[in-house]
Amino acid sequence: MRVVIAEDNVLLSTGLELLLTSKDIEVAAVVPDADGLLDAVTEHRPDLVIADVRLPPSFRDEGIRAAVALRRADPTLPILVLSQYVERVYARELLAHGSGGVGYLLKDRVSRVGQFVEDVRRVAAGGTVMDPEVIAQLMVGRGDGLDSLTGREREVLSWMAQGLSNTEIGERLTITDNAVHKHIGSIFAKLGLAVSDGGHRRVLAVLTFLDDR
Amino acid sequence: MKNLWGFVRYHLIVFASALAAMVALAVLVAGVLLVPVGGVGLVLVPRMMAVLHRWTEWQRVQAGAVLEVDVPPRPAPPAAAGVRDRWRQLLLGTRSRRDLRWTALHVAVGLPVALVALGVAGLLVNPVLEAPLWWLFPADEPLRLLLAFPVTGWERAIGMGVAQVVLAAPLAWWALPRLARLHARACLAALAPSEADRLAERVGELTESRSNVLDAHAAELRRIERDLHDGTQARLVAIAMRLAMAREALDDDGGPVGRLLKDAHEGTEEAMTELRQVIRTMYPPILADRGLAGAVSAVTAQAGLPVETDVSGLGAVPAAVETAAYFIVAEAVTNATKHSGAARVAVRLASGRVLRIEISDDGRGGVDESRGTGVTGIRRRAAALDGTVSIDSPSGGPTRLVVELPCAS
Repeated sequence: MRVVIAEDNVLLSTGLELLLTSKDIEVAAVVPDADGLLDAVTEHRPDLVIADVRLPPSFRDEGIRAAVALRRADPTLPILVLSQYVERVYARELLAHGSGGVGYLLKDRVSRVGQFVEDVRRVAAGGTVMDPEVIAQLMVGRGDGLDSLTGREREVLSWMAQGLSNTEIGERLTITDNAVHKHIGSIFAKLGLAVSDGGHRRVLAVLTFLDDR
Repeated sequence: MKNLWGFVRYHLIVFASALAAMVALAVLVAGVLLVPVGGVGLVLVPRMMAVLHRWTEWQRVQAGAVLEVDVPPRPAPPAAAGVRDRWRQLLLGTRSRRDLRWTALHVAVGLPVALVALGVAGLLVNPVLEAPLWWLFPADEPLRLLLAFPVTGWERAIGMGVAQVVLAAPLAWWALPRLARLHARACLAALAPSEADRLAERVGELTESRSNVLDAHAAELRRIERDLHDGTQARLVAIAMRLAMAREALDDDGGPVGRLLKDAHEGTEEAMTELRQVIRTMYPPILADRGLAGAVSAVTAQAGLPVETDVSGLGAVPAAVETAAYFIVAEAVTNATKHSGAARVAVRLASGRVLRIEISDDGRGGVDESRGTGVTGIRRRAAALDGTVSIDSPSGGPTRLVVELPCAS
């Protein structure tokens, strides 16, 4: 797998490069700004783009804009956006284009190497990864809408929204696949969502539900 | 002022300007009489008063020179934006009244004072100028010195001339400065800025300095947010990343070193979380990224219920106003979501001389300010910027909150 990284902070870009390389993920290019990213993607045709939100010259939301532009040009290009903070609107903008292959994580998550590399691979493979903070913001925003769910069901919903598969959810909660399946069925029934299998479409359905008012 | 000539000069000025003041009063009366005549006076009188004000200002400077005191200019009223405004200032302000009163007083006091003073000065100067020319005076009306005595020959001319200078000099030295100071003091007292003017000026200064301080503060918060983002936060991530890799490199447990690494790793992660929360409450990163319009849209987009957001009338506003507005909208939308039972909320921001924030919902109304801190927080933020908050929330709804924050700086 080959990735292109857009990160202006050298400390972080070298750390990221080191980490990915140690996991046999090839870093094709590290660029410090959004323009460089667009060029590097054209040049290297990577399997995944990892982009910071704040990039030169103005250090505002160049990374998000670049990601959205890249997705518009190629809806199948997997993009993982990393940031020092998460905003729901950014998540929504990232999800609005293409189907799958989108990730939005706090930079903090990089320090859980195993999980992070798993997330990287999931996004590259067309999956969706949302930071737990985004989901927390969504679930708080949704407020009363989730009243009918049990505590466990809310947990499962949150994992689903973060992009985890049934098996992974089962591992986290140390319950069987079957039990996870039952929880999901109950959640979807209570929320009035059509049951769908795992993968991006389910994540999107859950996120859309959480985001929709 | 020390030298005699300076005082003589002052008295000459007073004499001339007191005469001019008489003319000025007459011209002003003519101006006022012209008011009913096609509105000519309406335009003329305020102009005349402005000229009069400049003239009295000049008189104050002269008086200040006599008394050897510093005379700061009187605070200027805010610039008038038309005839109506000018008249309002004329009639409601104390400035013009003071100018007029002094002009009348100047005629009544300045003229006699200047005449006496110049008479005394004349006693001193006349012998020097006239005594050598005594022979030019006609015989039936000779030059008189020492007030009464006719000069008939050189002996008398020189003797009496010297005598008059000797007698008049102390009088002049005694009287001229006193008379000048008397007049100057009267002038400064009559034309001193009123307490109201002084207060108004002070309030103006304070308002400006406060708004500067608040803006500097907001800009500083934005700078700190950037610094933390680019510096401390990035370093923490880099440290955590390396600690994580070090942990991975260790075998399963790693013994004491492994435990220390684990503590350091988890501690770093906690520090990142705490720092992120602190930054969010201090200066929301989205405000730095997308400005007020974008940040407000983000807030309303993540509310728990549909919010109709209109920021089309939003222009550039000072940094302090921007931050306050962001937190006010966030607080108000949270309140509406949590307590109002509303199905819809509308948020509208428009800026001009003030930033107007309007938040309405179709909930049950009856907002009780004594309960809950939401509205209190909004009031506190608005008050810090001299803004106003009005809440209309009848029981049964709907609720409408309007916050206005001054933007002029």
